[in-house]
Amino acid sequence: MKPDTIICRCEDITYQDVLDAIQMGMRTVTEVKKAIRAGMGPCQGRTCGRLIAQIISQETGKPISEVWDSSHRPPLMTTPMGVLAGGHCDEE
Amino acid sequence: MTRNEYDVIIIGGGIIGAATGYYLTKREQRVLLLEKQYLGSGSTGRCIGGIRAQFSTETTIKVAMESVELFRGMEDEFGFSVDWFPSGYLFLAYTEEKRQAFLKILGLQQSLGLDVRFVEPVDIRRRFNYININGVLGGTYCPTDGQADPFFVLKGYMLGMVKGGSNVKTHAEVVGIDHHRSDVFEVAIADGDKFYASKVLNAAGPCSKSIGEMVGIDLLAEPERHESLITEGIEFKAIPMIVDYRPDGCYFVQRTTGQIIGCYTPEVQIPGTDTGSTFEFLTEMPRRIIRLIPALESVAILRQWAGSYTITPDGNPIVDKTDIQGYYVSTAMCGHGFMLGPALGKLMANFMIDDSWPYDMSEFAYKRNYQRDTEVLG
Ligand SMILES: Cc1cc2nc3c(=O)[nH]c(=O)nc-3n(C[C@H](O)[C@H](O)[C@H](O)COP(=O)(O)OP(=O)(O)OC[C@H]3O[C@@H](n4cnc5c(N)ncnc54)[C@H](O)[C@@H]3O)c2cc1C
Repeated sequence: MKPDTIICRCEDITYQDVLDAIQMGMRTVTEVKKAIRAGMGPCQGRTCGRLIAQIISQETGKPISEVWDSSHRPPLMTTPMGVLAGGHCDEE
Repeated sequence: MTRNEYDVIIIGGGIIGAATGYYLTKREQRVLLLEKQYLGSGSTGRCIGGIRAQFSTETTIKVAMESVELFRGMEDEFGFSVDWFPSGYLFLAYTEEKRQAFLKILGLQQSLGLDVRFVEPVDIRRRFNYININGVLGGTYCPTDGQADPFFVLKGYMLGMVKGGSNVKTHAEVVGIDHHRSDVFEVAIADGDKFYASKVLNAAGPCSKSIGEMVGIDLLAEPERHESLITEGIEFKAIPMIVDYRPDGCYFVQRTTGQIIGCYTPEVQIPGTDTGSTFEFLTEMPRRIIRLIPALESVAILRQWAGSYTITPDGNPIVDKTDIQGYYVSTAMCGHGFMLGPALGKLMANFMIDDSWPYDMSEFAYKRNYQRDTEVLG
């Protein structure tokens, strides 16, 4: 991977950004996420979460199972407020 | 000093522990901050980042105004942005009683130099044409209130502490405090390590009661669950923090990322540290947001979560020394710990060294009448 390879597309986070966060002491996917916003965008880490877990695991020598701690929170799919509130919302 | 000896040990890596540690380090104290998980894993990382000085008592207004100044200066101080943005706070009154209460407090706020004004419904309509003002009898607006990102703020404090020779230890849960020698505290963490200092600060937020019990102190600070949610980003319109004071009201703001973030205070309090999410909140909060800004109807929710408000019976924090020489407390920040944190951190750091406050802080005293009934705004 090149330093400027995009890891988190939603938030524009590069491989180097993730390495920097690990360098700063972040040891789990949640910690990296909160330090640099990786995984906070529309996909909620569904794409980059595993990738970040792999990078942390490579850099720290810890197994994926130990660094992959991200909690999944509702809603499962991004959902318009109007739908959640029970009102009408145009489907496009 | 040996490796495990420090001037001060701070328990808790939220805004309170981090800010106090930062200012103690600036005053050349060697500090050890012990955090159970990671920085911001408690309430601080779950808050919505709102910062305001519109409060209802003199002490809180002063502390909050000092905090706003500190947030404004963070980018220069840390060398990176903490996403501070003065989006303002707009409080809305829906009853004549609330309108009168706002007007009364406004005088006190203005007398302390706060740039806050009363806004009639027409003013609101003019300035924020997207807000549905149905039923609004007026409000107060303070343009210098704002928001910042809690994780960036914590990062700045952490880097400052480390640069100044202090130590921040995460994944280090305090499991016991031994105080059999009156001049030193022995603080033990879960992996068996022990650390020593003549001063300890309990900044453990929702868990501060149990950290108090470790030295036999009873703190009237209990956690309650508060839920929150965030939407996808939309065009940045600098929507202020709108605080809707109806019983089924809410408060939300647009972050500089374009996202809408907000919460409401549940009608029935949910005690405890459970941070689970409810379907009720996920459906009710959007209803309350859309009622205020109908145009947000098509904006999608990305995530909901929950955290704790730690509260005392009178709603004020506890920021003080205690009966035990060298044992200090800064906790029970209710819904305001992030915004008050920087100033309280600075005040507490100075207090731990100089043993005096620059102004009256008796409202936050450890020994006080916790039942006192003051008008609480927010
Ligand atoms: C949904 C929500 C929205 C909010 N919105 C706002 C807002 O807009 N503005 C605002 O100012 N405030 C807001 N708040 C309130 C704010 O989050 C809190 O007041 C503030 O974060 C409290 O900070 P703290 O440092 O006291 O506690 P915390 O951030 O909880 O820090 C305490 C730390 O102590 C650690 N700890 C606990 N036990 C131990 C132990 N035994 N050993 C070591 N460490 C331990 C915890 O892991 C935790 O990290 C909100 C809160 C919630 C839940």
